[in-house]
Amino acid sequence: MKAAPARNAVWAVAVATALLAYPLIFSSPFQQRLGALVLLYAIAASAWNIVGGYAGQVSVGHVVFFGCGAYAALATYHHTGLPPIAGVPLGIAASVGIAALIGVPTLRLSGHYFSMATIAVAELARLVTTNTEFLGAAVGLSGPTVPRTVFDLSFISALPYYYLFLAVLALTLGLTWWMERSRIGYYLRAIRDSERAARSLGARAGRVKLYAFMLSAGLTSVAGALYALMFGFVDPESGLGILISVKMLIMAALGGAGLLFGPLVGAAILVPLEEISNSVLGGRGAGLTFVLYGAIIVLIARFRPDGILGLLRLRRRAEVPPKDKTDAP
Amino acid sequence: MLLEAKGVSKVFGRLRAVDNVSAGVAQGEILGLIGPNGAGKSTFFNCLTGDVAPTSGAVLFGGEDVTARSPERRAELGLARTFQLPQTFDGMTVLENVMIGAFLRTAETREARDRARSVLDLVGMGDLADTPARTLGTPGRKRLEIARALATEPKVLLLDEAMAGLNPAEVRRAIDLVRSIHETGVTLVIVEHVMEVITSLAGRVIVFHQGQEIASGPPREVMRDPSVVEAYLGKRAGRKAGAHAP
Repeated sequence: MKAAPARNAVWAVAVATALLAYPLIFSSPFQQRLGALVLLYAIAASAWNIVGGYAGQVSVGHVVFFGCGAYAALATYHHTGLPPIAGVPLGIAASVGIAALIGVPTLRLSGHYFSMATIAVAELARLVTTNTEFLGAAVGLSGPTVPRTVFDLSFISALPYYYLFLAVLALTLGLTWWMERSRIGYYLRAIRDSERAARSLGARAGRVKLYAFMLSAGLTSVAGALYALMFGFVDPESGLGILISVKMLIMAALGGAGLLFGPLVGAAILVPLEEISNSVLGGRGAGLTFVLYGAIIVLIARFRPDGILGLLRLRRRAEVPPKDKTDAP
Repeated sequence: MLLEAKGVSKVFGRLRAVDNVSAGVAQGEILGLIGPNGAGKSTFFNCLTGDVAPTSGAVLFGGEDVTARSPERRAELGLARTFQLPQTFDGMTVLENVMIGAFLRTAETREARDRARSVLDLVGMGDLADTPARTLGTPGRKRLEIARALATEPKVLLLDEAMAGLNPAEVRRAIDLVRSIHETGVTLVIVEHVMEVITSLAGRVIVFHQGQEIASGPPREVMRDPSVVEAYLGKRAGRKAGAHAP
């Protein structure tokens, strides 16, 4: 076990190098765009992972925060003419506020009830937005068609987005890493296993879960804002559709929920799969993606609740000579 | 009294699980709670820890009314417990389980780890620190729960059937552990079915029957009490015990 930190450091350096070099090696527009999308979804799924993975509170309403970020950026541009990025703090503040508001009543619910409550909130947000003229209603909002200044962050090439997303992903994973190692991270994992026992040991479960939910919401809204910057457009379906929540969940679960790099691994597998099936099959591919997601949910739930990284970790542990497992009575 | 219940009742629908019980444990004492299955021991125990809110009555800890306080607040005040069915954190190692307890008194991860290690050494689980908790059997889990509770540096430790499911040799080791914990100045409340445990540990026991306290006193005297024998074995045995009493 002693060698584990060193091995982890080697892995982290290798992954970082690969991520930095990727768009220079695979430099076609399609490949660069694919890379940027992987990172974008990795940010969203990593943000989800804080509350869905570490704390085990499976939110299916995280698209609300994603939408907050996307809409805040483009509504700021649309109504004030400021660059969309000026709306990012607004999106974060709104997301954290909404998280606090819906977290207090819903985080008391356990298991599936929490998931269902978050779905309801997300659908409500989508319906309200569809009928709100200020947010573009059903038509949606657009960003600047031609970049006015560099602050509009509107580029034709995907390369600038790639490195922007990479920086934000590094920040997200850095925050998660810090959380994992601090008291709140330990408490979250304890609450996931047994909230009752965690509380008996002094963990203020309600407060700890709420803080995690708020942190997760803020980071998810950044992902939404980045999406809006890259695509320059958001409507109720692309900004608040339930499929986005489901994607975050599946990517984290496939890679390994509650593990630092789990969501990144999940995104690196699913995003290319979806993009390739879309480009090969065209419009008909969209339906197939849903079928694929459904199948993945079933497989994860049945065989590997802790995802691909969980599987690898188990393998690695098996290499270490088994410890004396007899109990100390 | 360090921990005290005043007229505590808990009603579930039409069942009076705990019926107007007043009892307390003094600093440095080991109090045993016994009684047949369904007598209300565990419900009473959970009223003390804050897991169950009493329908009426009050719970005092160190003279302060904690009836409305959450389990986590009571833990902060110095109350720790174990569970009848072990609730170990199975996604964590043994050491990490104990760190959760240690985090109550420090926010620093490194310090929590150091404290957890010394608690594990104290309960004789130092070798198992990096073992995943889910690979432990029942005796290991029960001991881990005690370690975790100790890491919160409690004034009172409440053990809910900590010896159930242990073989005689394991029970003896567990009794030694509880005794050594008591020697460090921790007050104990133990719910137990194994009579050997009660007689060798508790200075005083309270007997529950149908939600009420029917007897209390030193274990050996209480066991001879006709009403206690009757509660466990039925009326005829109770009369016999009464007739034979000196």
